[in-house]
Amino acid sequence: MKALFRSIYELIGAPQPPADTPVYRDVIFPNIGLLNIGISLALVVIFYYVINRMMGVATFNKGRHWAIFLIINGLIAFGLAISQAHAQQVTDHSYIYWLATWNAILGLFWFFILSLILRKGSTNASTTPF
Amino acid sequence: MRYLSAFSRLLPALGLSLLLLPGCYSRSDMKTEEGAATETTATPPVETPVAAAEPKTAPATTEAAATTAQPLQAVNVFLEVSGSMEGFMPKTGASGENTKFQQHVAQFLSEVNRSTAVRQKTFYRIKERPYKDSYQPISGTVRSGIQQPAKSTDIPSVLDTLMTNYYRPGTVSVLISDFIYSPKNAGAIPYIKTDIADALSRGGEKPDLAVSVYGYTSDFRGTYYPALVASGKKTNCCDTEIPYYIWVVGPASAVRQFDAVLLEKQPAKQAHFGVTYPQPVYSVLNKFQNKGSWYYGDAGASKRNADTYRVISVSEASAQQPVEFVVGLDLGQLPGQYRDVAYLKQNLKLQGVDTDAKLLDVFAATDQNRASSGPESKFTHFAKVRLTKQPKAARPLVLRLQDQRPAWVAQWTTKNDATPAPKTFALSSLLDGLEAQSGAEKKPIFEAPLTLQPAE
Repeated sequence: MKALFRSIYELIGAPQPPADTPVYRDVIFPNIGLLNIGISLALVVIFYYVINRMMGVATFNKGRHWAIFLIINGLIAFGLAISQAHAQQVTDHSYIYWLATWNAILGLFWFFILSLILRKGSTNASTTPF
Repeated sequence: MRYLSAFSRLLPALGLSLLLLPGCYSRSDMKTEEGAATETTATPPVETPVAAAEPKTAPATTEAAATTAQPLQAVNVFLEVSGSMEGFMPKTGASGENTKFQQHVAQFLSEVNRSTAVRQKTFYRIKERPYKDSYQPISGTVRSGIQQPAKSTDIPSVLDTLMTNYYRPGTVSVLISDFIYSPKNAGAIPYIKTDIADALSRGGEKPDLAVSVYGYTSDFRGTYYPALVASGKKTNCCDTEIPYYIWVVGPASAVRQFDAVLLEKQPAKQAHFGVTYPQPVYSVLNKFQNKGSWYYGDAGASKRNADTYRVISVSEASAQQPVEFVVGLDLGQLPGQYRDVAYLKQNLKLQGVDTDAKLLDVFAATDQNRASSGPESKFTHFAKVRLTKQPKAARPLVLRLQDQRPAWVAQWTTKNDATPAPKTFALSSLLDGLEAQSGAEKKPIFEAPLTLQPAE
């Protein structure tokens, strides 16, 4: 698990400053990786199953509504990475923001993939985004 | 209405996601993941019950902690009362002034007598042979002078007596004397070393024999008897201070314990022979004057205790971008001589395999370091290491404190003590004899193994 998240998050380079490498590899990467997938999944479920199936809302199934959730997911992923890094008391470094940006991009990716898989089960939004 | 109930069904999911937010992994759950291997190697000394009571001075091994907790069986204090000692203990003058010797030794005897670190205390005065005495008369002698000085006592025969009659486990013999060794004839002078070594080995093989020598100087008012009898005694001596010594003789662990409790408080010159010390607590520090691209390479590094890092993972090192790291050492358990920064600078050596790692500097903790919230506050000394080549594979790197004869011994030694001076006749030959006893090869005071490895 750790090795998987480490390989994903080190695509943008090794953690900086080097002294904090073990904290990133052992704690922060798995944390933000798992949370990121979890939150993307939660937002997808809320969009397709809660709003567009259980609640039967008929007017929230357009591509732009989906995009709102996509952006929210990206912002959460960004904030999440920063707060996790600070929670582990790593040294302040611009790397934290690069990591947060990369995490946001990964969040968008997960949201998109999960949308493709799960949209079929929705009644009102089974063809969103396309 | 339907809208609201649908939203309330959503609440558990929302709650669950809120619970997840703080993160699943934390530094504290590493132990369960790392397994038994890390547990055994990294058992921190802070967890032993003895050390918990005094965390700052916690020894590195539990074995050492156990011996420290137990009081010593017995201590035998021997005070030499030959004529040459009279000047240290003059009869109290009209003005009531005393010598530094009287001040110091009276206080030392009192501390020994009151100490709870030793069960049984016995006091002897050495004339031709030791005579059993008790604290009060001995202390009285020190304060008000020797009433009936003995003839010169012979150091080898005194040591011989100590070794045959008073050497027992958990027992130390303390010898207070000027250690001016005057052989019967001048022909014996070259054999001082051999005489001492012979005397110590009398009474059977004692592999753990240790001797600590503490040197002091005191003003001296009386007759001075040089070792070389031919040069004649000096009355109404002296303008200069004359050295005297406290020797602690016994099994290594007992000597270490006695030194730490009763002799380390006062500043003194020291030399130790055969005394062994527990390995000090040490750790690499990753956020204390560190430079370059490296990190803790220990398994589960992010969740270990701060004082147990031993592995340096180097991701990049070159002449332009050297790696510098600091090793924190807690030398609180060692005697003052080995905590002396000048001694450490000379004798702390770094030995590596296949690396250009060099010891840049050794320095003591400042008040600022001690007050710091970082792990550096736990250490008394720091060793800074620099390297410019990345290791090719995991390689050992050892910090080793060598056991060297301290410089003061040579300064305090004289070949001719006809003129009174703060020097002792043939002191280094006496100590040579102690060294010969404690074994051919000198063991280092401590070794702190580390590992250098390339970053993964």
